Amino acid sequence: MLTGERPGGNKTNTSPAENYYLARRRTLQVVVSSLLTECGFESAEKAAVETLTEMMQSYITEVGRCAKANCEHTARSTPTLSDVVITLVEMGFNVDTLPVYAKRSQRMVITAPPVTNAPVIPKSLVAGQKRTHPAYIPSHFPEFPDPHTYIKTPTFREPVSEYQVVREKAASQRRDVERALTRFMAKTGETQSLFKDDLTAFPLIAARPSSIPYLSALLPSELELQALEETDSSEQDDQTDTENNHNNNIHDDPGADKENAVLPPGGVVPTVKNNEENVIDNPYLRPVKKPKVRRKK
Amino acid sequence: MNRKKDKGFESPRPYKLTHQVVCINNINFQRKSVIGYVELTIFPNVVNLNRIKLNSKQCRIYRVRVNDLEAPFIYNDPTLEVCHHESKQRNLNYFSSAYTAAVSAVDPDAGNGELSIKVPSELWKQGDELKVLKVYIEFSLDQPKGGLHFVVPDIEGSMAERGAHVFSFGYQNSTRFWFPCVDSYSELCTWKLEFTVDASMVAVSCGDLVETVYTHDMRKKTFHYMLPIPTAAPNISLAVGPFEILVDPYMHEVTHFCLPQLLPLLKHSMSYLHEIFEFYEEILTCRYPYSCFKTVFVDDAYVEVSSNASMSIFSTNMLHSGMIIDQTPMTRRCLAQALAQQFFGCFISRMSWSDEWVLKGISGYIYGLYLKKTFGVNEYRHWIKEELDKIVDYELKMGGVLLHPTFTGGKEKENPAPHLHFSIKHPHTLSWEYYKMFQCKAHLVMRLIENRISMEFMLQVFNKLLSLASTASSQKYQSHMWSQMLLSTSGFLKSISNVSGKDIGPLIKQWVDQSGVVKFYGSFAFNRKRNVLELEIRQDYTSSGTQKYVGPIKVTVQELDGSFNHTLQIEENSLKHDIPCHSKSRRNKKKKIPLMNGEEVDMDLSAMDADSPLLWIRIDPDMSILRKVEFEQADFMWQYQLRYERDVVAQEEAISALEKFPTAASRLALTDILEQDQCFYKVRMQACFCLAKIANAMMSTWTGPPAMKSLFTRMFCCKSCPNIVKTNNFMNFQSYFLQKTMPVAMALLRDVQNLCPKEVLNFILDLIKYNDNRKNKFSDNYYRAELIDALTNSLTPAISINNEVRTVDSLNADVRLILEEITRFLNMEKLLPSYRNTITVSCLRAIRMLQKNGHIPSDPSLFKSYAEYGHFMDVRIAALEAVVDYTRVERSADEFQWLLDMVQNDPTHYIRHKILSMLAKNPPFTKAAESSLCNEALVDQLWKLMNSGTSHDWRLRCGAVNLYHTLFGLTRPSCLPLPELGLVLNLKEKKAVLNPTIKPEQGPGGPELPPAMVFTSSLEEEHVVMEPLLGGLALVPGLGLKRKAETPLGSPPEPGQILQEEPMVKGAIKSRFPTQDEEDIDMDTVHDSQAFIYHHLNMLDRPSTPGKEPPTMEQTLMSMPATPVPLFSKESTSSSKHGGEHHHHHHHHHHHEHKKKKKKHKHKHKHKHKHDSKDKDKDKERDSHAFSNSPASGRSMRSPSLSD
Repeated sequence: MLTGERPGGNKTNTSPAENYYLARRRTLQVVVSSLLTECGFESAEKAAVETLTEMMQSYITEVGRCAKANCEHTARSTPTLSDVVITLVEMGFNVDTLPVYAKRSQRMVITAPPVTNAPVIPKSLVAGQKRTHPAYIPSHFPEFPDPHTYIKTPTFREPVSEYQVVREKAASQRRDVERALTRFMAKTGETQSLFKDDLTAFPLIAARPSSIPYLSALLPSELELQALEETDSSEQDDQTDTENNHNNNIHDDPGADKENAVLPPGGVVPTVKNNEENVIDNPYLRPVKKPKVRRKK
Repeated sequence: MNRKKDKGFESPRPYKLTHQVVCINNINFQRKSVIGYVELTIFPNVVNLNRIKLNSKQCRIYRVRVNDLEAPFIYNDPTLEVCHHESKQRNLNYFSSAYTAAVSAVDPDAGNGELSIKVPSELWKQGDELKVLKVYIEFSLDQPKGGLHFVVPDIEGSMAERGAHVFSFGYQNSTRFWFPCVDSYSELCTWKLEFTVDASMVAVSCGDLVETVYTHDMRKKTFHYMLPIPTAAPNISLAVGPFEILVDPYMHEVTHFCLPQLLPLLKHSMSYLHEIFEFYEEILTCRYPYSCFKTVFVDDAYVEVSSNASMSIFSTNMLHSGMIIDQTPMTRRCLAQALAQQFFGCFISRMSWSDEWVLKGISGYIYGLYLKKTFGVNEYRHWIKEELDKIVDYELKMGGVLLHPTFTGGKEKENPAPHLHFSIKHPHTLSWEYYKMFQCKAHLVMRLIENRISMEFMLQVFNKLLSLASTASSQKYQSHMWSQMLLSTSGFLKSISNVSGKDIGPLIKQWVDQSGVVKFYGSFAFNRKRNVLELEIRQDYTSSGTQKYVGPIKVTVQELDGSFNHTLQIEENSLKHDIPCHSKSRRNKKKKIPLMNGEEVDMDLSAMDADSPLLWIRIDPDMSILRKVEFEQADFMWQYQLRYERDVVAQEEAISALEKFPTAASRLALTDILEQDQCFYKVRMQACFCLAKIANAMMSTWTGPPAMKSLFTRMFCCKSCPNIVKTNNFMNFQSYFLQKTMPVAMALLRDVQNLCPKEVLNFILDLIKYNDNRKNKFSDNYYRAELIDALTNSLTPAISINNEVRTVDSLNADVRLILEEITRFLNMEKLLPSYRNTITVSCLRAIRMLQKNGHIPSDPSLFKSYAEYGHFMDVRIAALEAVVDYTRVERSADEFQWLLDMVQNDPTHYIRHKILSMLAKNPPFTKAAESSLCNEALVDQLWKLMNSGTSHDWRLRCGAVNLYHTLFGLTRPSCLPLPELGLVLNLKEKKAVLNPTIKPEQGPGGPELPPAMVFTSSLEEEHVVMEPLLGGLALVPGLGLKRKAETPLGSPPEPGQILQEEPMVKGAIKSRFPTQDEEDIDMDTVHDSQAFIYHHLNMLDRPSTPGKEPPTMEQTLMSMPATPVPLFSKESTSSSKHGGEHHHHHHHHHHHEHKKKKKKHKHKHKHKHKHDSKDKDKDKERDSHAFSNSPASGRSMRSPSLSD
């Protein structure tokens, strides 16, 4: 009986578990009492018995815990006799005396504790079929966890892929978002109105002068930059069909098409730059000189 | 014609400038002030050089030394106040002549200047040996209104963090606004430029940056520039700011500068510049003349591009990222223009104003060659046609543009362009519009010369001019070679005749020495018997802006057998020309028809006249005459021309002609062109608008869907669902432009009720709804903006009952949809602004259109908020345009006043200029119509604006003159009370005549003025007007009061400052023409410079933290207007409107008191000057000490130029 296997949490146990615990405790008390009787005591104070019981329980628990630890140390899951022996030895107990003690004549035989119901482990969620090991996994390996931890149940419907509907949806979605957002901004901030009678009819977010207006007007917004990155990556497949008819135009009408040709691809700086960067001699890149120390007049 | 013959350049000055040092050692962004000095090295050309005239405006000069000797100086600028404010004259004729006289009086090309320095007598002896003189001038500028522009954003942080910067600007020669110089394009010298700026800033200027040195406290840096190539002062510029620096990856001697955070845009925008360099160097076979080139991009720029020696200043709004399509070609064009002007304009300068056309012509011409090479022949020809149309329209409307005005010596009054309300004698008196047209005409004339002598010779001439100049530029001054760098009309023509051996005299006479364009009317008949085309070409040469053309003209006739060129002679009396035809008319013969370019095409000939072999006729197809042609030919001929003529100009002409032929055949021809993707995209765009017009004209017979709808659907919509537009892909630019234009044109369609068809409106709304740019490499901001423009175009006037107030409930359902889109777009723009805020601009226009059509209440407040300083330039202009329109439609005096206030006060020069030009284009009233807005106060205000309020900006002043002309015409505004005197006494001829200056203009509607009486004195330009009210004589033009004379005098403690005491008692007359009266001194200036020194000494001791000016100054300023003069109440009230000009009261008082005396003393005074001048110096010495402790010396912080 290895009490160490079931540590702590007694108080929170449900009543069958509590019964189990109380029964065990009672058995231990009986054992202590009989040992006392064996030693010749006729009576004992309840507190003393309790203390001895407690000591006994601690001792046994410690033996169990250490035996378990020893067993796991050698990569096993169930303690063997030798684990217990080593434990006892480590705890300073002379094992050799044990058989003699066990066969002593005056020992009292106590009845086995009444069988109580083992505590019921609450049922885990059962979902799906529990899988057994496939052939290539040795059976000693742990079993698969409960299916509910890994199985998934798709809940969406098949997406609509009809072009018109998709476009329609995307357009109205964007419009709704934009409208909601601008309405929100208009509601929370200052507004201007086009109508005198109903100031809320077509609210316009008030124009607010900025200190450096050219920055926001010239720099591409983050959204645009982001979009640009996205298109750059998807450009390859996107362009293939447009490229074809595009090329036709270039061949047909070289004069008018110049504008296309002169645009450099994304303003790429030539690679030469990197190599020559070190030798660029531009007066604006030169370090600023320290002032000359001039003699004062 | 009075061209100098081979004499080279003769300087109008008695000395020659060889070198100038400009040193600006302090730039204070907080105070917007600048302190520095200049040193001019001059060689006298005459013995006894005793007076040096220089140009300087706005600058406070507080010390002048000549060879280390203090020199007295006089500062007199008659352009500050053109007509003295006591004058009651209000007619533009009078103003223009006074203004021209004022500009002449300080014109460096006539040897004049605002600043007159007396060479100390000690140096006169030196003069005998013609030794070098060094003129050293200390000066400062405080809150300059012209010349330098400070941009200081109002946010937290250091000046560098705020992106504060300053740059020089100006229209033509305006360098005098920021440092004293000889402000002439013909006075070249070498330069040393030094600028000490904050360590976080960069100073970019002309020439080579030699070194950058820290100051001793390590807080500032000094940029040292050397410009060894002789350069004229107007070509010197400066830009200082916390610029980001980009060395051009292809050309390391080229450096680009932009404001913080814009570096990625700069990199992209400049990635192309090297190709322009290569192009120009190749065609000119000449290296770029300067050793380096700098581009600086600044905010609030005066013009988009300004080119100066080895650097160009651009508007920062031209920078763009790689996602922007529309701005790319525009930016490249600007760069190309700037670079062309580096060669012709900066390196080669002009000899005089009348030679300006050569430089503008050449730079414009080589820019055209660049366009041809880069954007293609189609684009080039389209551009030439556009420019030609522009100049023709302008000249026919406004009168001729004269490229080479000659001013014969004696008769100053002779005006070569009497039809204009301004003088063309000086660049500074020209209207901006006229100047733009002038440039346009100049390059077109260069192209005509090319047509005559061939491009090869043309380029040889340029090369020759450049190599002469570059040889000269490397010479030392003593070799007298520098004038080779100046280009004159005669020099240019001589070069042409040397190189080509051709005489282009007639061409020059026709287009350069004479103004006007040619207007042809052409028609024809086919004589079947003789197989001859009888062409009749008539000319209108009597209307304004036209001239008679005599000479060859090319006519191209496309016949069935091919295209044939004929050169006809336009002669005095021959109108009819017989042209034999080559092909017999034949039908049903299936044969390809050869075109001009050798191509052979199949044509459906069923449309043509069975008897005639003529397909189409073109008059002057190469545009080798500056002309407008109105040619009559049958509709089918125009249709053939549109379909089969390969020249884009011919196609565009055909499109505009087809507007008059709304038939099914025209519709088909236009639709075919629209669909043809080999056709030039701008032609196709034009066809869209023509098609819309034709569709409207054919409304009753039109069949099928609205014009262009099915075409657009086929080209840009999805195959499976035709109502949905494809996701944007703008890789093909031609398609992109067409996609942008078609909806705009479609929205112009109207149905029987004259409404935009519901189908079209829904179509456009769908385009907006389904617009999806996520997969696009390019930004769709321009496309979306044009979709909003399309919505705007679809608007029609609301049906209004009893002029009810517009409410939300009364909103039309369609308009509600439109308004919803606009609201959403405009709001989204606040969160995700588009490039150059194009969408806001379109939305503002749309809202104004909704107001104008009565759908929503007309209200300017929204536009006024967008017009405020702090919005992006384009937005402001769009908003201002709406306010201008509102002002006209609603005749709102408040808004008009608001606009005029902005003209006076806005920090951005371009906006101020733009408001005036928009007002002139869309005026709230004109001289022809009565208006409640037109009243005396307005006349006074505008008069004051052009008279003195805009003296810091030539362009603005001319804009104000233009507006005045539009509103009131040339004569006295009709709303003014009649002048009480109108009789002119001509003292010379001893007779009285009606004042010619207030003669009513012969115009319809303008109420006639009864004759007024004014006296004209015998002295030239001097009118004496009797004012019965005051019982005295008022002085009118030419003779102003010496208005500063009676102020208490103060004198600086420094030696060398001079003052004149003499005029004090007499209230003497100050001539505004220094040539007549050189001894005058503007007392205010002396005071001001005085005050400034004191103030400045204080300032230098204090750290430059934001703060007010010392309170003492303000107080003294305020105390001035304390006592108005009750005696002349009418005068006083009128002048008190001149807010801020308080000291004028003072003079006013004396003015009237002495009125009679003045008249008497006038002549005396003159004489006195002559013999006084020698004694004067002694007097001055004495006087200066006598008044050195005057309390008035610190009187004013303002210079006269800042008087309001």
